Amino acid sequence: MTSWQAIRLVMGREIRERSRSGAFIASVAITLLLVAAVLFLPLIFADDDVHYELGVVGEGNQAVIDSAVALANSPGRNVRTSIDVIPFSSRDAAERAADTEEVDGVLMDGREFVVRGAGGEAGGELESLLQRGARSVQIESLVASGAGQVVEILTSAPLDVRSLSGADTDENSERSIIAFGGLMLLYMAVLLYGSLILTGVTEEKTNRVVEVLLAAFQPWQLLAGKILGIGLLGLCQFVGTVVLAMVGIELTGVVDLPAFPVDSLLVLLLWFVLGYSLFAVMFGAAGALVSRAEDAQSVVAPISLVAVAGFFIAIQAVNNPTSTLSVVTTFIPPTAPFVVPVRFAFQAVPLWQMAVSVAIMVLTIVVMTRLAGRVYLGGLLRFGSKVGIREAFRTAEL
Amino acid sequence: MLELRRLSKGYGEVQALDDCSFRVERGRMLGFLGPNGAGKTTAMRSVFNLVRLDSGSVSWRGRPVGQEERVRFGYMPEQRGLYPKMKIGRQLAYLGRIHGMTNVEATAAAERWLEELGLSDRIKDPLEKLSHGNQQRVQLAAALIHDPELLVLDEPFSGLDPFGVETMADILRARAAAGAAVMFSSHQLDMVEDLCQDVAIINHGRVVMGGEVRQLKMDSPYWVIEVEMRAADRDRMSRLDAVVSVEFDGYRHRIVVRKGGDLSDLVSRLDLGGDVRHFTFSAPSLSELFREAVTG
Repeated sequence: MTSWQAIRLVMGREIRERSRSGAFIASVAITLLLVAAVLFLPLIFADDDVHYELGVVGEGNQAVIDSAVALANSPGRNVRTSIDVIPFSSRDAAERAADTEEVDGVLMDGREFVVRGAGGEAGGELESLLQRGARSVQIESLVASGAGQVVEILTSAPLDVRSLSGADTDENSERSIIAFGGLMLLYMAVLLYGSLILTGVTEEKTNRVVEVLLAAFQPWQLLAGKILGIGLLGLCQFVGTVVLAMVGIELTGVVDLPAFPVDSLLVLLLWFVLGYSLFAVMFGAAGALVSRAEDAQSVVAPISLVAVAGFFIAIQAVNNPTSTLSVVTTFIPPTAPFVVPVRFAFQAVPLWQMAVSVAIMVLTIVVMTRLAGRVYLGGLLRFGSKVGIREAFRTAEL
Repeated sequence: MLELRRLSKGYGEVQALDDCSFRVERGRMLGFLGPNGAGKTTAMRSVFNLVRLDSGSVSWRGRPVGQEERVRFGYMPEQRGLYPKMKIGRQLAYLGRIHGMTNVEATAAAERWLEELGLSDRIKDPLEKLSHGNQQRVQLAAALIHDPELLVLDEPFSGLDPFGVETMADILRARAAAGAAVMFSSHQLDMVEDLCQDVAIINHGRVVMGGEVRQLKMDSPYWVIEVEMRAADRDRMSRLDAVVSVEFDGYRHRIVVRKGGDLSDLVSRLDLGGDVRHFTFSAPSLSELFREAVTG
């Protein structure tokens, strides 16, 4: 049997058994639900469109109402506000209608607003709407300029905003969404699939099936098959989640997506593969050091800490992608997978830095695979209590 | 033929294997005996490269054992090990495939073995749903799925009920008859005596007695006389020159005597009158050889 055949067998088993296991299906479902929730919950909990019935008496009301509606529906607000105008011939008739809640309130001569009670959500909201409308009408009359201009001024952003990094600010915020979302996914994926490797290795050692497997396979074939199998599953889930998120964003328009960010996605994918590989071999070696699942947490703590550190450094890079910290951590293997995609999303990583970072990463993965492979084998062959990493290293040669 | 030659392995202070050598012949069964901690498991694991030996070599048919050879071996570790949540049919097929069978061959072999072990209807059950005894059967099938040329079984009979023991013994006999080399470790000496042509007895990592059971018995410097009679003066008898020991279990006297010793004094002291119900004169049992080899 060739090594590749052996690796493929192990890989095949991981994919087949895991994709059928309840735990995996649940994790896929939960991830998809989470993404859906993030995308759709704002829509579900968004206020319904607001509609008022307003009685009017006398003259000068329409200008106030028009201004109020225009202000309420200024760009960037999700809730549409509309006001139905119901004219009354006399103040008495109008007040009666307000008192019986036939209308939400009555505007009189563009000067007086009558509501039934003092409080009440609808009355308060409507009042502040009309107050703003009336205010703008007053300003308009003061400056004696054309109708509508004041509304325009009040709803516009008169200051031009310029970003020193060159990107325009709208694009910047869109990029930070991609950077941040990608970072979250990457972080979750590395830890989630890394811990699957960890428990998978520990389980095989705990139930001793590893003795049967190692009798037929080389240890590195076993580790490689496991990492590739779980990695492929993870990649499918990762890509699936990203695609679902993109489609969801398109459909719901929760966030304005910049023109489809193919480059960012590809970089994210590349660093998913690199980051996963590095953490996977470390988790694999760690899993071999313990014989019981209970001990597993203690050996992964250092690895998880490194991932958490990478995550927080990357979050700081979202705000400041060119800081010294961001640049330095670009070249440090365990933090690079989190930092580089973020910096790339802001177009803040020069090509040479990216190339050097990838090269360092690949080199580290190769070296780590050999070291971890040795620890893995040494750990697997020492049963019982927790095995020290040095002891495991000395027990085996790969 | 499997040959373990001069194996040594130390774990810190403990010398698990100390110049340990023996052979397992094809078509025969070897019982691998020794007290707990004597190095049995370490020796068996060394066949599968699960132990990094300090020195010594393991060869199969004259060639050093590598991955190529190990794929055709079957191994049942002491701590039983399979995937608890994997369906037993698929699990056996997988184990067949890692030993070089094609998917089709492995699936067919899994079905055949489960049929033979009476577990056909459980083929889609995960291992953990099976009773302890049935899990043991699956474990045996796992070691046998690819018709191995060499079977190495670490305590295959421990934890089996009498029916399980019988099934296991039948299957091992059949494998040896088919030409496979079979070795297993056990503490059940009677069973080893019953099943095995050869034994290797190991103590403190070193083979202290080994070879064909029948030959070992003949080479023993003792005979054993078993007599069932009413009364005997055990103190007097044990003081006789030819007598090594006398034991009485409430029914029978078990007298170990030196080969070539003068037995006339002993015979004169046995009350072989009317109520003798049992009298045998035989070579010592494997248990006695074992005790002799390990303590003597």
